[in-house]
Amino acid sequence: MKRFFTILICKLLRFVGGLLGKGSSLPGQVALKLCPDILSRVELPEYIIAVTGSNGKTSTVEMIAHILQKNGKTVAWNREGSNQIEGVTTLVLSSATLGGKVRSDVLLIESDERFARYTFRYIKPTHYVITNLYRDQLTRNGHPEWVYDAIADSIHDGTRLILNADDPLVSRFGAGKEDVIWFGADRLSSDTDTLESAYNDGAYCPVCKAPMTYSSYHYNHIGHFACTKCGYKRHDTDYAITAVDLDRGVMEIDGKYRISLALKSLYNIYNILAAYTVARVVGVDGEKIAAEMGDYVLKNGRVITFTLGKRKGTLLTSKHENSISYDQSLRVARDYKEGCDVLIIVDAVSRKYFTSDVSWLWDIDFDMLDSPNVGEIVLAGKYVNDLAARFDYTGIPKDRIKLFADIPEAVDHLENGGERYIYAITCFSDKAKFLARVKEDQ
Amino acid sequence: MKLLHLYHDIMNLYGDYANVLAMQRILQNSGETVEVDKLSLGCEARLDQYDFIFIGSGTERNQKVVLEDIRRFRDDLKRCMDGGKVMLFTGNSFELLGKTVTDADGRVYDGLGLFGFTSEEQNKTRMTADAVFGCGFLDSELVGFVNKCSRCRGIEEPLFEVKLGLGNCDNDKGEGVRAENLFGTHLTGPVLMKNPHFLIYLASLILNRAPSEDGMEFVKAGFEVTLSELKKRMEKENN
Repeated sequence: MKRFFTILICKLLRFVGGLLGKGSSLPGQVALKLCPDILSRVELPEYIIAVTGSNGKTSTVEMIAHILQKNGKTVAWNREGSNQIEGVTTLVLSSATLGGKVRSDVLLIESDERFARYTFRYIKPTHYVITNLYRDQLTRNGHPEWVYDAIADSIHDGTRLILNADDPLVSRFGAGKEDVIWFGADRLSSDTDTLESAYNDGAYCPVCKAPMTYSSYHYNHIGHFACTKCGYKRHDTDYAITAVDLDRGVMEIDGKYRISLALKSLYNIYNILAAYTVARVVGVDGEKIAAEMGDYVLKNGRVITFTLGKRKGTLLTSKHENSISYDQSLRVARDYKEGCDVLIIVDAVSRKYFTSDVSWLWDIDFDMLDSPNVGEIVLAGKYVNDLAARFDYTGIPKDRIKLFADIPEAVDHLENGGERYIYAITCFSDKAKFLARVKEDQ
Repeated sequence: MKLLHLYHDIMNLYGDYANVLAMQRILQNSGETVEVDKLSLGCEARLDQYDFIFIGSGTERNQKVVLEDIRRFRDDLKRCMDGGKVMLFTGNSFELLGKTVTDADGRVYDGLGLFGFTSEEQNKTRMTADAVFGCGFLDSELVGFVNKCSRCRGIEEPLFEVKLGLGNCDNDKGEGVRAENLFGTHLTGPVLMKNPHFLIYLASLILNRAPSEDGMEFVKAGFEVTLSELKKRMEKENN
């Protein structure tokens, strides 16, 4: 009876919350109060797929859901991105019958990397995707090894790991396990022999701390690594990106599936590969996955094209306090051969909590914008001085940089400043301030 | 002049390297020719030939690796400290200088013993906070961020007074450690870039004269914005 009432109340709260436009964590929170072990009292589907990692969780989960649904599977997933235990509880209970059975073929859970250990105490995933571990929100997360330890606590026997073979820290989760499913990229034409990053998180082996070498870097410290001492090295892959041409916007998976890219970034191809891998594991044919992923435009609002007066542009939502996320966006601007201007806004560091810390600006490789493809660089927001100080230590000529503490003034300046394409790079916390001044393309 | 960024690739977690850039720039603007050496595990180094030595923050595991490596510099560091060399240790690198570091599993590592304090880590809660610190030798407060998992006990002469943020342990109002011109603080990242007055102070100790303040407009303005944000925060917390 307790289960029945808890599920009922969760569903009612979810319904009312939906009408009021409230978030999806409160119903789960109440349910957990009423019945702390409610998650272990529900009957779960054959596939319980969890996705965690620093970057790409939401996009990967969205693409997995899309592919599976298009191929006839029913999927329960946390599309609002409420990824702590309360949000996951809401997801599970609102997908369940009052008798306590989740009706879908697949339960797909995006999980916050620090809270996975609580969530998966009650729900053991059948498959667990770990995308990457980067410097991300360090003001809360500490550092990548701290997060590694938190995730390690959430991995239980009987769960099959699906790991990014190109991330040295993530790969360590697979040590000593026989049944890991590995995904990664072969040597790509866009690879470099030397590190391109403001810092090197692949300098030392995560296992024995001896120096590591790379035969190829995909981006930052993601690539083909090998320890010089203990033998730890990149694992061979089960599913791989075999080629990519970002200029033409095409990737190839497993040597035969060509997918055209709506978003021409390395990030995006890894998210697609992770989604492909999961769909293959669930039994979808590769050809069908490729068909669904071709020109797929993410619906989570992270990439938005816009019009500003006579100018066109794209907002690349990046994450403050996450240098690799910024590096990826900067790379898109750097490689835009038609030429572009770039707007960077740092106004509120986070939308969820207060911090005035901008140390992460020093981890971003802004020198990438010292490219013939990039014209004017407009820096804006409350922390414009910190941005300016950071750019002062790049090789970018000062006369190409414009500073505005006021975001509307920065946008006005761009509106009246030429006709080049605009890449706007900022975070969830600041993007609305920008979007309020432009016309979003439908 | 010669600057040393020691363990530059393994103790560099929050943009700490920018401290060396800031020092290099201010000394150059003051008319000095500046050379920067970046050294790490196993490298030979003669510490006495440098005018400024910096070590940044690292993961707990990396700090233990460095602790083993840095032992060979113990006596050199002691001489540098006693001789008044300007040195800055940010984040958990200053824990290396104490008597012991105890990890979350209870394993005790000997520190360099330049100070008598002890550090104790735990792995349950990451202790993070924006910080406003006061100190006697500067006109204005310092701003920054603390990101740690340890408590340091037994520091009798702390470097800073905590106005917002975290002290050496629990409710301790003292933060960091100082002896002669050695400065250790759990502030992480580009402390000197974020606090131009602290940079000017350290540079004046190195130069024995007032350094040039040319080209510091952005960092000075950035400091004022952050200080005002944090003061608003303090008022909010006090109400």
